[in-house]
Amino acid sequence: MILMPNFGVVVAGPPRTVHLLNNSEQPATVFSILESGQKQVPLVSDPLFMDLMKKLASVYTGKQQTRMEAKGPRFEVADFLVKLGTVTMNQNFKGVLVEVEYRPCVVPAYCWELIREFMQGFLGTCAPAQAPVYLQNRMQEIYQPLDTIQQYLEQFREYRKAVTVR
Amino acid sequence: MMAQPLSSAIDTAFKSNIVPDQEYLLQGSVLDKVVEVLLHRLRGLCDNVDSGPEPFQDHEMCFTIRTTPTPLNLRVRRALDHQEMPWQLRYIGQPEYGDKMRPTIIRSSIDIGCSATVVEFLTELGCRMEFEYIARGYMFRKGRMKITVSKVFKMNQNKSQESMEPLSESYLVELSVLAPRGQDAIAEDMRSFAEQLRPLVNLDKVDFKRLVHGPP
Repeated sequence: MILMPNFGVVVAGPPRTVHLLNNSEQPATVFSILESGQKQVPLVSDPLFMDLMKKLASVYTGKQQTRMEAKGPRFEVADFLVKLGTVTMNQNFKGVLVEVEYRPCVVPAYCWELIREFMQGFLGTCAPAQAPVYLQNRMQEIYQPLDTIQQYLEQFREYRKAVTVR
Repeated sequence: MMAQPLSSAIDTAFKSNIVPDQEYLLQGSVLDKVVEVLLHRLRGLCDNVDSGPEPFQDHEMCFTIRTTPTPLNLRVRRALDHQEMPWQLRYIGQPEYGDKMRPTIIRSSIDIGCSATVVEFLTELGCRMEFEYIARGYMFRKGRMKITVSKVFKMNQNKSQESMEPLSESYLVELSVLAPRGQDAIAEDMRSFAEQLRPLVNLDKVDFKRLVHGPP
């Protein structure tokens, strides 16, 4: 569902990283997130942007690309969309991610409680009590596909740090 | 579910020559006082007869990034008259002029629709903005060909659109087609179309490097 080839970018100056992500829900869109220190710049674009990144090959280092993927079945339960993603990093199994989306609503604050209750129904105590950190500051804002990508990136980052399967 | 990852899907598309990444181009210019005559002629020749020519007003920023062996040029364009439209990021390769037999300039070109964060993205990536301008004019279509007649304005610091200062007393005329590799037949169509406009504007393979150094 989501791929993350990593590009380490080294031009003169501080190190920068570009993450390229793709979500099967938006198959013709590439999400790029550029990290430079504390600053983060997202870019939403056509898939040909991947080709442009290849042209920039001499800008970034030949650092080995870390490819992360969450892949698995997708269920529609009434208004909910549930995706169970098997997470792999360079083809090594890392764990399972559960994504739940409540589709009629676009403001997280109005449906978080509903989502939480729904998750408790099938995850029990594993369901998170709090909204994801990324969303906590954006509960009143209109939710966009980029917000899903940002949450996956956050999760992938945790997986990369983790030594064991979680 | 996706059959294959997007990156390899794009590679496949490039290999099977379906990505329109070649631009065939002819350029010319007309003086302000005769532009109406050219617009009138184009109105008659082109496809959009009923709807009339499509006006546009674009802001273009040109960025470069140091890459080896040659620096890369990237252009960002946005429509000032349609602010809700996606921005456009464009890579343009070195133009090939070919010999006299070749009717048009050919240059590789990748057009990417993107979000407005593109300027900040490129700046953080290490790109430097070289120049910017505003192009205002009309766009015509004739089959796959695109014809633009536009005037180039300097970008004002205060960015107010009323006090725009034109760069010259003429209009830039461009005839272009974006096509996949190897479709050279279209260049012949362009040559014959340019021939029909010949009395009004001379569309040719303009070599910028020669313009910089003056006529030989």
